Amino acid sequence: MLNKRNSTFVFALTLSLLGAGCASTPKTAETSDANDPYERFNRKAYGFNDTLDRNFFEPVARGYAKVTPEPVRAGVTKFFDNVNYINVIANDLLQGKGGQFASDTGRFVVNSTVGVGGLFDPATKIGLVSHDEDLGQTFGTWGMGEGAYLVVPVIGPNSFRDLPNLASSMALNPLTWVNSIVTIPIGVLSAVNTRANLLEATSIRDQAALDPYTFVREAYRQQREYKIYDGNPPGEGYENYDEEKSDAAVLKIY
Amino acid sequence: MRFNRYLIAGLAALCLGSPAAHAAESSPQATVEKLHSALLETMRDGKSLGYKGRASKLEPVLRDAFDFAGIARLVTGRYWAKLDKAKQQAFIAVFTQLSIATYADNFSSFGNERFETRGVEDKKNAQLVKTAIVKPDGKEDTLDYALGKSADGWRIINVVADGVSDLSLKRAEYTAVIGSNGIDTLIAKLNAKVASYEAANK
Repeated sequence: MLNKRNSTFVFALTLSLLGAGCASTPKTAETSDANDPYERFNRKAYGFNDTLDRNFFEPVARGYAKVTPEPVRAGVTKFFDNVNYINVIANDLLQGKGGQFASDTGRFVVNSTVGVGGLFDPATKIGLVSHDEDLGQTFGTWGMGEGAYLVVPVIGPNSFRDLPNLASSMALNPLTWVNSIVTIPIGVLSAVNTRANLLEATSIRDQAALDPYTFVREAYRQQREYKIYDGNPPGEGYENYDEEKSDAAVLKIY
Repeated sequence: MRFNRYLIAGLAALCLGSPAAHAAESSPQATVEKLHSALLETMRDGKSLGYKGRASKLEPVLRDAFDFAGIARLVTGRYWAKLDKAKQQAFIAVFTQLSIATYADNFSSFGNERFETRGVEDKKNAQLVKTAIVKPDGKEDTLDYALGKSADGWRIINVVADGVSDLSLKRAEYTAVIGSNGIDTLIAKLNAKVASYEAANK
């Protein structure tokens, strides 16, 4: 349970980590190789998370997915999306997206009331579609580089740019401020439900990946980039791969 | 009479032998849509074809639509030029097999999905064809194809699914494996992947 002093501490900590991230990550052309200075630590954390997941979270999520009818899971997902939505609205504002801020505020109000506390999503039907914003994306739109990649124990893939969002999304989630008797079981449900929604994605990873650590890192980075540009990353094009040149590796693809 | 017969035979040979008869389509969009219609057919008949049937149906389509040699060069990055010709060919071959296996495994059944082409954009050395696969409930995944113009038409060099570039993902993995264990290990791992797709579909 976060009280006010604790959350200030977390915020200060993440800010200082963020500062370290900015100072220690020079941009190079070959970002995919060069921008993982903590790979040794990250691989250990990845291994730890993977073991924890295979022995605990994944089986629990499978069990949950099995006993919970699809509409119930959809409702649970919508509920958690809705309580996290204040974080989206705040970041609309920080990114200067005025229209989206208005529409997202309307969405939150409609779904919290007519949508029975967020269990349903009537807002989408009246044109108030959902958006995906967070503090890491905001920093991205402000021009901040991604910073070093970081695998956070238990939590998973992250980066120095995205780390502060862990604190801000928690602080802006109303459930954080409710009594811990309520918060803890709800937090567990949230984690299990999130994991259940990822079952398909992790089975793709298990099937396709040669080196799951690298696979997850690249997928994470690219999805972040994609979200920062709201689904339209600029894309720099492709090296002329017909010619016998050996510099294809320094190219950023798409 | 005789002359005519030779003429016809000659013309037929010319048609069959000309690049136009075999090659990828003449526009980026046409190449992608041809692939999509073949995928839809494969999905519809997925169950009766079985994994082997899907793979053999898709193989010529995929070889036509994708520039596997170009992709192989891009995914191995700076290591490509250091490989001898035999290794390059071996890598292209196993990479092609893996792509066929992946498609045969993934496009196995039909749930009334449809493909939509949303537009074409100019990129450096490539054209980007933006599409989506849409489920009946309206949920969709975006699939953006990058195509390059090769001697025999427009061919796919990358697929970006929901923002994740297949080429970048594979290059990160493949160069990591080559860097630490060498090309033979990479080829062995890809062969093992092909085998695991076959085993999973037995």
